[in-house]
Amino acid sequence: MYPSVIEEYLRPGSVSEALAAIARYDEGEAMFLAGGQSAMQAMKSRMLRPQCVVDLQDVAELRGIVHDNGALRIGAMTRYVDIAGETTLDGAFGALRDAAAHVGDRQVRNRGTIGGSVCWNYVASCMPAVVLGLGGTLELAAADGGTRRLDADDFFLGPLETARREDEILLAVSWPAPAARSGSAYKKWGLVRDALPVVGVCITVTLGDDGHCTQARVALSGLAGGCQRAPAGEELLRGGNGDTAALARAMDAIADSVETHSDMSADADYRRQLIRSIGSEVAATAFARARGG
Amino acid sequence: MKTITVTVNGTSYEESVPERMLLVDFLRDRLALTGTHVGCTYEGVCGACTVHLDGEAVKSCMMLAVQADGHAVTTVEGLAGADGPGPLQRAFSNSHGLQCGFCTPGILMNMSDFLARHPDPSDEEIRSGLVGNLCRCTGYVHIVRAVREAAREMREGASGVQA
Repeated sequence: MYPSVIEEYLRPGSVSEALAAIARYDEGEAMFLAGGQSAMQAMKSRMLRPQCVVDLQDVAELRGIVHDNGALRIGAMTRYVDIAGETTLDGAFGALRDAAAHVGDRQVRNRGTIGGSVCWNYVASCMPAVVLGLGGTLELAAADGGTRRLDADDFFLGPLETARREDEILLAVSWPAPAARSGSAYKKWGLVRDALPVVGVCITVTLGDDGHCTQARVALSGLAGGCQRAPAGEELLRGGNGDTAALARAMDAIADSVETHSDMSADADYRRQLIRSIGSEVAATAFARARGG
Repeated sequence: MKTITVTVNGTSYEESVPERMLLVDFLRDRLALTGTHVGCTYEGVCGACTVHLDGEAVKSCMMLAVQADGHAVTTVEGLAGADGPGPLQRAFSNSHGLQCGFCTPGILMNMSDFLARHPDPSDEEIRSGLVGNLCRCTGYVHIVRAVREAAREMREGASGVQA
């Protein structure tokens, strides 16, 4: 476990400098380094062998959590520890804190970033499923000055794959002001406390005046296919009032509709059971937060 | 090679290092600060290499040395005050918070940062704080006790006492 030879280390002070640095290299030869809590592992195992590392630690404009009339924008270099400690992330955005507070361990949370996690898009990670389950927008910028905004549904393409081009930088993940009576939650199960998710579930619901669910998003982590929506469960959640039996039916539908795999952490049936168990709890929390409880 | 300037335990060092050198190896091999341990062959799972980067606990095998350029690092060698071991170190000794001691430097560095932010932690909070540090001897019971004792002593002691 040791990185291969790195020829150049750059530490730009701005997004434009960072993009200019990456553009000097051919595709695959240079990489952005955010918090490094996944990328350093990949470099040490030689899965990544960058000639040039562009360290984003000094790009201040990539950091921070900004609320603007209910809208939320989280800079790509915002760390887990900062998200976990941001008490304003409640209600519709509660899932962000649920997840960030339990990524890895204290040391990892002091370095790891939301942007690094979603761009790496590892199957057993929390933030991609949370951003997907919250319906975030990924703001990307390219060296030619172009920018684009992608829905999470269009950003996450599969395990370790995203729609980000190598010459693009992720600026932030953002959300418009959530509808009234919206709530979200996330929970995972791993082999030990705060371990990588064997299964994780993120659920966002919006309730109507009568307390019935009008909008629902469900996203899963820990599956071999990568973070993914669970439309079968979303459909069953909509129209319901969040009673225990209805939530259980929705989670049963998800467990029956997704492809689970067996590995040393859990077999396929146990993963389905985890979806039912965690999912019901997460859904109940999301409903409670939507009600303001 | 890149020349970096890093303040370690209050002393500024200027060194030329290969870009791929890990921070833990810079501390151990260049500065001979071997209190920072490598427990898991740089896999980032054991926490024995935990140091403070600008006052925050991080794993020094999960960073390149060049990333610490311009920053301040504290290792376990920098934990004791001028008058000897601080309350956290004394508590680990008094409460038998170690057996072989290999994991201890990382645990001390993590918990000193933890106690600075959580001066009155519950046992549950201490255990959550310890997730990133593996100890294969103690079963953690004495470690949790030591951290609890240190927290109490630091709260009761004079303000400004170093962890």
